[in-house]
Amino acid sequence: MQFSSSLLEDAVNEFARLPGIGKKTALRLVLHLVKQDAALVQSFGETVLKMRQEIKFCQRCCNISDADVCSICSNSMRRHEMVCVVENIRDVIAIESTQQYNGTYHVLGGIISPLDGVGPDQLNIELLINRVQKENVQELIFALNPTIQGDTTIYYIQKKLQPHSINITTIARGIAFGGELEYADEMTLARSLQNRVPVERFVNY
Amino acid sequence: MLLLINSISLVQFKNYPQRNFSFSSRIVGISGPNGTGKTNLLDAIYYLCFTKSYFTRSDSFNALTGTNGFRIEGQLEHNGENYKAVCILRETGKKEFMLNGNAYERFSHHIGRFPCVFIAPDDVRMITEGSEERRRFIDAILSQLDPEYLQRLMNYNKLLLQRNSYLKSVSENRLKDTSLLEVYDEQLSNDGSYIFEKRKSFMDECLGLVTGFYGKISGAAENIELKYESQLHKLDFAELLKSTRDRDLYLQRTTAGIHKDDIQILLNNQPFRNIASQGQRKSLLFALKLSEFEMLRSHKGFAPILLLDDVFEKLDESRMHNLLSWVCLDNDGQIFITDTHQQRIKEHLETLGALYQLIEL
Repeated sequence: MQFSSSLLEDAVNEFARLPGIGKKTALRLVLHLVKQDAALVQSFGETVLKMRQEIKFCQRCCNISDADVCSICSNSMRRHEMVCVVENIRDVIAIESTQQYNGTYHVLGGIISPLDGVGPDQLNIELLINRVQKENVQELIFALNPTIQGDTTIYYIQKKLQPHSINITTIARGIAFGGELEYADEMTLARSLQNRVPVERFVNY
Repeated sequence: MLLLINSISLVQFKNYPQRNFSFSSRIVGISGPNGTGKTNLLDAIYYLCFTKSYFTRSDSFNALTGTNGFRIEGQLEHNGENYKAVCILRETGKKEFMLNGNAYERFSHHIGRFPCVFIAPDDVRMITEGSEERRRFIDAILSQLDPEYLQRLMNYNKLLLQRNSYLKSVSENRLKDTSLLEVYDEQLSNDGSYIFEKRKSFMDECLGLVTGFYGKISGAAENIELKYESQLHKLDFAELLKSTRDRDLYLQRTTAGIHKDDIQILLNNQPFRNIASQGQRKSLLFALKLSEFEMLRSHKGFAPILLLDDVFEKLDESRMHNLLSWVCLDNDGQIFITDTHQQRIKEHLETLGALYQLIEL
């Protein structure tokens, strides 16, 4: 791509470093900003800068936060004895959108996969174990992806927590809502049969 | 119950820019000089059954030279129902596989639906070379019979990679806490024990078949024995991993497990590999492959497709006749046979007295 201005070129290159953005999209975004009022673009830039400079990670659960402790952890209405363990912040947002969960979270920041250079020490596991030791945590709910690495992570943390008498659960695995049985893969279907649910619980839900 | 492939169309696959073949008979002979694409045609059929090549691991090697993608489309018939199987390698390198227009999310779900056995001259390395080839042989059969076996084998291999990578990072970073190993050991023994049990009962079943076929093909009274060698015969998986833990940490890889299994082949109580002649090797290869065929047939309830590549080169007249009459007459499945000599293949098929089709490339 040939540019008449090196200012333009630099801006395009910066945008193109964002995930999912190629050179052409970057150019479109930059040209859009060029057309905008200078004041608007200034506030755009300042918002981004401020976000990056002032954002914090909750000292308790590693969720993204404005203060030292995030709004979920500081909310006294939530059940603090219940902790949902998730891989990343996007999972917190997904679970919050269900409006069904009233406990707190713990964000691991990834899952154990030595192949990708992620061992237990790279994750917020120590922090979670400290939390269980210090706080009155009664139940740990694992909401990790149903992969081998996810399972490894669950077993690892469970082993670490064995001395503590807390309830450790994982989210159910099985047929998706609106899914059709005939299209479900055999493993999912077999698992769903193994972990079937009594109808009373199912109806009362 | 018959499984038949009625036609296949190839686009940019190996040496074929674009070509259609229709198969009108249960027995199909394919003849042509070297390099005309006999084996490639068989490999295309194999693709439709296994979603991959019998020969190369990388799909992109199978595109016509100078191009990046290919398409294989086949019309199959099973139980009186028609199926359209399509395998496409996009120019981007992405592979798609569709059955009756529905794309598979996981290719492993297709494997086993259309069982198929390929016999190629190079397969003799299964007997002469390392244990990996023999494990591949067992795995290929069991994966077609038992989807859970395939799933667990894939899990096992992924776990093994993770464990080995972890062993490396333990020594590089001088980690003190190795409790993650215990987790991997548990996960490995869970899948590994299942695989071991399946392989064990498979080998018991296989032994009788192989000796039977070997006798039939060679016509000689030789004593063939197959032994399933596994460290798990002595210890259960969890104990085994525990016992090799220190060595694993030192060598930075997992030194024990079902990935070390082997089949030991004995001829008159001596290692087959060392003393067998060329002819005996070939007879054993056919015996192993026909056992695979027979086992798939008995478990599936119908005969797999049989792909025989260049078999005439390898056996003498009478053995060849024994073999052909078994695969063509005592078996009701579809067979594809390639040969460089049109006359020779014609004579062989003629003497059998069964209906056949001859394709000349």
